[in-house]
Amino acid sequence: MTINLLIAPDFAPERFAGWHMLNTLLQKKSGIHIHLLTPASAHEQNDLIQAQNVDIIYANPFDAATMIREQGYRAVARPLGKSDEMVIAAKADSGIVALDDLKVGCTIAMADNRDVKLIGLRLLEAVDLLEADITWKVTETYQAAARNLIKGEADAAFFLSEVYDSLSRLTLSQMQVLIESDLSDISHVLLVKESFADSEPFIDALLSLKDTAEGEQVLQELGMSDGFEPMTQEDGEFMIDLMDTLLD
Amino acid sequence: MKSVQLPDMDQPASDATAHRLNYSDGLSRVVYTTENELPYPDGKLIVSRVDLDGIITHANDAFVDISGYSRDELIGAPHHILRHPQMPKAAFKDLWQTVEAGKKWHGYVKNLCKDGSYYWVYATAVPNIRHGETVGYTSVRRKPSRSKIAQAEALYRKMLEEQA
Repeated sequence: MTINLLIAPDFAPERFAGWHMLNTLLQKKSGIHIHLLTPASAHEQNDLIQAQNVDIIYANPFDAATMIREQGYRAVARPLGKSDEMVIAAKADSGIVALDDLKVGCTIAMADNRDVKLIGLRLLEAVDLLEADITWKVTETYQAAARNLIKGEADAAFFLSEVYDSLSRLTLSQMQVLIESDLSDISHVLLVKESFADSEPFIDALLSLKDTAEGEQVLQELGMSDGFEPMTQEDGEFMIDLMDTLLD
Repeated sequence: MKSVQLPDMDQPASDATAHRLNYSDGLSRVVYTTENELPYPDGKLIVSRVDLDGIITHANDAFVDISGYSRDELIGAPHHILRHPQMPKAAFKDLWQTVEAGKKWHGYVKNLCKDGSYYWVYATAVPNIRHGETVGYTSVRRKPSRSKIAQAEALYRKMLEEQA
């Protein structure tokens, strides 16, 4: 049996090797042959889901809502203590030191990530900035967004917190954080297609990663040192309800 | 509909004004308010869930922290434990009618803390629909802007005058 495992494209670049290590270890532990899919963009992710029989998805929370409610997936696990947060940053010496300093007509650079944009917009509501008030500069990567900011081509930039923290020390020294979200209850989730009947060995292998040194090493590579915890159907539904409140 | 009688609030040590609140379930209690506004915690969401009777079943850490109550005091209490006397009844009537109709509700709300302080939120409430049935409601609050708070204060003042 071969199954397809898709990883949402918004992980930090240095985690790439970790996902391949995870795939190798899960195959060994579960006895299932797993084909790893790592789309480079949300668009490519959608194409893969439409075109292939994707059995398991490590999904970002907003995509997970659609996948659970409309595409026949169920949430089975999530990384423990690793919620999805975002950072709004400005150039270090720009004079923009707080969200209040961002005004109507400002330019914000960001990679194409719907979740980060949505959470960022919710944070900007507090200073009366709406999506239409902002000039958006969509970059290929978060690193490109940081370069835009440092060159003075944007007033602020949005980042996934994990990616922001992984930027080089030199890059970080030229930026300052205006705000970081602390939503806690929202995280990536592991989804299994309802029609994938023999998912138990896979799920067991995933949930027991912390039990072996080999598994611990993979979790470290993924920045998920606490491992995965099981999710009930209600846990998934609760997160979807929560995200529903953030849509507008 | 299950009703839970909340005890009267303890009078805070600082200057506080006493009010008797009458709730829609026919119960009432004395609450105290002060002029102390607590800042909304930056970057956070304040999350709670209630059952169909409006009894709190879940409160996240941000909710517990700002309320001044312990989690044990909140779980099992009616959600109107947060009701500030400067909130018009019509706002909550609209909230309940909207979510009971299966729809999402948004609004600016002034909430009351255990010590009489208050904090403003932009609240969104949604019904928890499971297998086609509503089993409870989730409320998620975000930080409101000062300009929206000022608008809401003016509107609610007018609504309270009309309510009186």
